[in-house]
This record gives sequence, structure tokens and C-alpha cells, in this order.
Amino acid sequence: MIVVVLNCGSSTVKFQVFEMQGEHTLATGLVDRIGMAEATLSYAPAGKPAHRESPDVLDHGQAVEQILSILTDRHRDGVLEDRSQIGAIGHRVVHGGESFTESALITDRVLASIRECVDLAPLHNPPNLKGITACSRVLPGVPQVAVFDTAFHQTMPERSYLYALPYVLYKRHRIRRYGFHGTSHSYVYQRFLSVTGAGPKHGLRVVTCHLGNGCSVAAIQDGKVVDTSMGMTPLEGLVMGTRCGDLDPALILHVMGKEELTPAQATTLMNKHSGLYGLSGVSSDMREVLQEASSGNRMAALAVDVFCYRLRKYVGAYAAALGGLDGLVFTGGIGCNASHVRARACEGLEFLGLALDTTANDLAPGDVETRVSSSQIEAWVIPTNEELVIARDTARLVAPATAA
Amino acid sequence: MTHFRKIAVIGGGTMGQGIAQVAATSGIEVVLVEISEERAQQVQRELGLQLDAQIAKWGLTKSEKRAILARVEVTADKEGFGPVDLAVEAVPERLAVKQQVFRDLERVLGPDVVKVTHTATLSVSEISQVLQHPERAIGMHFLPPVYRVPVVEVVRGLATSADTFATVTQWISVLGKTSVEVNEYPGYITTRGIVPMLNEAMHMVMEGVASAKDVDAALRLGFGLEMGPLGMADRIGLDQVLLWMESLFHELGELKYRPCPLLRKMVRAGHLGVKTGRGFFSYVSPVPGSPAVPA
Repeated sequence: MIVVVLNCGSSTVKFQVFEMQGEHTLATGLVDRIGMAEATLSYAPAGKPAHRESPDVLDHGQAVEQILSILTDRHRDGVLEDRSQIGAIGHRVVHGGESFTESALITDRVLASIRECVDLAPLHNPPNLKGITACSRVLPGVPQVAVFDTAFHQTMPERSYLYALPYVLYKRHRIRRYGFHGTSHSYVYQRFLSVTGAGPKHGLRVVTCHLGNGCSVAAIQDGKVVDTSMGMTPLEGLVMGTRCGDLDPALILHVMGKEELTPAQATTLMNKHSGLYGLSGVSSDMREVLQEASSGNRMAALAVDVFCYRLRKYVGAYAAALGGLDGLVFTGGIGCNASHVRARACEGLEFLGLALDTTANDLAPGDVETRVSSSQIEAWVIPTNEELVIARDTARLVAPATAA
Repeated sequence: MTHFRKIAVIGGGTMGQGIAQVAATSGIEVVLVEISEERAQQVQRELGLQLDAQIAKWGLTKSEKRAILARVEVTADKEGFGPVDLAVEAVPERLAVKQQVFRDLERVLGPDVVKVTHTATLSVSEISQVLQHPERAIGMHFLPPVYRVPVVEVVRGLATSADTFATVTQWISVLGKTSVEVNEYPGYITTRGIVPMLNEAMHMVMEGVASAKDVDAALRLGFGLEMGPLGMADRIGLDQVLLWMESLFHELGELKYRPCPLLRKMVRAGHLGVKTGRGFFSYVSPVPGSPAVPA
């Protein structure tokens, strides 16, 4: 079966085409700047050179049309003969609220539930919805599946997801911890089970660290998320590229008063001007910050320090939450490629029984699953593959529907 | 539904620049037309400085600034732009000037493109009477700073069509702002509502009821305003406030709009508020060229 995976943002649609028998990627690409004058379509068919075009793309519907057109155009290295080959479409949907604990075949009812979550993710769910509506119009009859960033974390117990605010706020506005990157945490956890041969052993305690542009940690026991660092929004928890992570909530009100900031400015301050970028003044990209730090830039070194220290605190806290640790997984661009960050995050955790294998850690190639510990607690680098999870869930959920 | 890909803004003063910036921020291409090559270059510089000031307040990132500037083309070519989906004129508040701009817009863009006049005091019907298709004209009033104030008054002229009204309100929602519908009447809602309060605050100072500082503190804290009326008047510019009052007094004849003599005296003395460093309060620029702050 051919599955197309779509990730629709406010002005972008990322796509990846899978052939599910062998789980091969046939092509990947991106439509960027939808609705703007300078829209672009980047397209990379497997094993062939990538191209870039500048079509007119006014909305998500036209973006989907452009994607289907290039996928089925032999003269532009299309990988499909015909759009009827597409068996299903899988969508990344950011917020599933409390309605979705797993991926769902899209029906009118599911669509209505996703709409109800717009309030919780006003920036992300609307474009996701646009992508779904566009596909139902352009490819009527092709089943679609929604895979939620929040779903994997829905197993958290109340004591982890409730904030100590008046309970009425939870009842009235569903103010609680939801967590994000669920698809990635779930994928690397499954891979961890398979590479370590652990199997879903009773009581297995694993901490997964997704360290990319956004960063989050999840504590997983018996395959269930016990806690995760991102909260009501993706701002909470670790230090990230441009996001501050945990703060004293009172300080932002204080800063707003001192600097005469509007709520919008305060939001951008925390989301786009903080984190590695805000502290170092160099970049939001860990590679550049590490580079600067190694050439003597004190603020860059400090930013790395704050980043790693926060990460270590979370790993330690989650080991405590789990009552011990059996596995630690690093993924995401930073998690896979920054050996220095992994080493610093594990520093001082020997008391838990964690010992990093410094040679393996230094040599880990980043794109291969690699064990980086010498202790009984197994630490691994495991590259994530969220698109594959979406494709698999999509194929699995549409199989009975197609058979019927 | 109109899809707004490109708009024209005529006049790169404070409001024209603000409108261009907000449109470009929402992904719309803007051609900003100025009167001369020299002015065009100056406006280009000022746009950059405005965005820098917002970056300094963390409202914007450097890459967003680049993207916004890349969408704004500042030109002195009054004929060569287009096609556009909407045209806004934001030239000085003088009837003859605005009418000439409208005439030119109709000639260059044709009858169909919606033409918006940005005005706080002039009559939309009177400005658009020079058009052959006044049904495609409408008025609009943003409040400064445009990027920060979330409300826009949309003003129907006598001839404005329902379709024109719908197009403009749709555009304003694309900008992420709330529009309110106003029928053409002097001062609309915002100017008419605020002028008596500014005037009354000035009278209190003139009559010796309290100091400017205490008048502002009482009204600001007492009613949860972001700033007091005198500080607000200083920011708007006292000459501008005087113009509003004279216009409302003249149009509506009510004494409550009659400019406070103290205001007249201050304007005559050149104490115009933040822009001259002195109004009801004193202001200094921390660095030459940077926005003034209370001294």
C-alpha cells in the first residue's frame, strides 16, 4: 500500500510517501510559504536529485494538488503512476486533547473532536485541519488517519498531569499537562525494546530524551508514559533552541510590567528569543553554540551548561519518579549528534548506576542505533522516525476499513 | 472571497508604514508608494528602525524582520505598481490631496480594486465623490502604533457597497485585527470617545485641580488605563489633538469639544508632546535618534 504522510503547518505542508510492504520512502518534500507571493515546492524522490519549483499556492488545497501533481508526473521524477495508487493519507495532528489516546481513522466525529481541540493549540490544529479538509476534497474516498503528538502521553496519571492550580480551571478550560513529541517518544521507546531485546518486561523503566529544535523528556514504565516535561504548551520543561522551558511563572508578569510588554511580546520573548539563542546571543542551533563555546565564547559555554544541567535534572527527577532506571534514550538532532551534550547530561548520574561508555559515546555516528553506556542501565542513541510511525498507524487503521 | 496577495499603500508616514508592516507580517506583499525617491529611501530606513525597536522589545525576531522587509517594496513610481488586490491611501489629512490620490488610483488600478482612505477626520463620501465608482471606496481608521492596537474602525461612505465593506473587513481579519463598523460621522467612535476625556484632563490642569502627573495617575490607576490621558495626548502629538478638537467642535458645534485654552497655548509654544521632547511631561531620547522616553 502507498501511504502519504502529511505534516501541515500554517504556511507549510511537509510530505513523505511510503511504500508500506518494505517500508520504503519513495519521496519526501515540502511546500513552503503557502498563500504568499514566493511559494516554493521542494521535492526529493528517493535516489534522484532533489528539485525546487515556484508554483502558485494560495491555500492548503492547492498545496495538496501540487504535491499530487508532482508525485504523478513522470517528467518531474514522479514516483507514482496515478493518484489512485494512494491507499491512505496519514496526518500529523498536534493536539488531540483528552479525546485521543491513540491514532484515529478520520470520520466526521473525529474531525469534530479535533476541532474541539483548536482552543488548546490555536496555532497548530487549524492548519492540520486544513490539510485534512483539503485531502477529502482533492482525494475523495481515500481514507485518512490522524496521528496525535499528545496521544502517547495520555497514559499519565492525574498526579503528573495536574498543575497545582484551582481544580476548577481544569474542569472549565482543560488546563493540564498534555506533553508533545509523543510519536517520537513512542517510536524510540519501541526501538529501545527491540534493540536491547528487553521486550515489555514487567516494570521496565525508561527515560527518553527528544532533543531537537524543541526538547522534551518522557518517563516511561511498562510502555506507559508516567510523566513528560512539556506541559499545557510546548514551552515548559527543558531549555530549547529559542524557548526558555521552565520558569518561575511570576517572573514573566514582573518582566511584562518592567519592560511594558504586551502579552504577544511576552509570548514571543519566551518562545523565540530565549533558550540557547537568548542566553548565548549566538544561535539557536546547538552545533553553532558548541562551536562558539569551544572557541572560548563564555556566553555560549554558559548556554550549553544551562541546557545540559536542566536535562540532567530532568533525567534524575524522572529516575526518581520511576523508582530507578533501566534505560535512557537520546534522539532528535541534538540527542543523536551532540556527544558532548549526552556526556554532560549523564555526568554525576553514576550514583544511579549509569555509566556512559565515553568512547562509544564520542564515536556514535548519529544516524545509527548505538549503545553508549557500559552500565547495566542501557543508554542508547536512537534516531527517531515520526513519519514512519504515522505511516504505520495509517496503514494499520485503514486495513480493516479497506478490507470491508 | 478575495485572496490578498499584494496591496498598495500610498503614503509612507507613521500610519502608512504601520499598515505596510502589519500587512507584510501577515504574508501579504506590499508596494509602499512615496512622493519622491528621497522620501522612499527615508521610509525604507524608518521601516527597518521600527522593526529593530520591536526586536528590542522581543516582539519580533531578526529573521522575521528580514521576511517582512522582503515583502515591502518602497517606490516613488506612482504609476508602475500593480496589479494589487487592495489599495490604501494614507497621505496627509487634506481633502484635495486625498481626492487626487483617489483619482490617480482609479486611473491606474481601474474601477474594481477596492480603494481605502485612511482618515480620522475627513468624510469618506466627500473624498470618494471624485471617483467614477465610489461604491468601491471605503474609509478605515487604525490607531497608532498599528502593530500593537488590535482594533480598526471601518467607515462606510454614502456610496460604499456591501461587497466593498465585506472585502475590507475580510482583509482586516487576515491582519489579525478586530474591525468595528462605523457609519460616516465626525470622529467615529475612537476619536469622539477619547477627545472629551483629553480635553477634560487638560482643563483640570489649567484650573489647578491637580498636577498633570496626579491627573494621569488618578485616571490611569482608577480606571485601569494603560496610560493617563495627558501622557496619551503627548504621544499622539498635541497639535494632532488640537486638530481633532477643532474639527469635532466645528462639525458638531458642541462645547465639550472646544479645545482647552492651555492646549492652544502649548501648541503655539511648540510643546507638542513626545516628538518635541516636551508636552504635559518631558521626554528624552536615551540615544540620539531612538524613540523618546519619559524623562
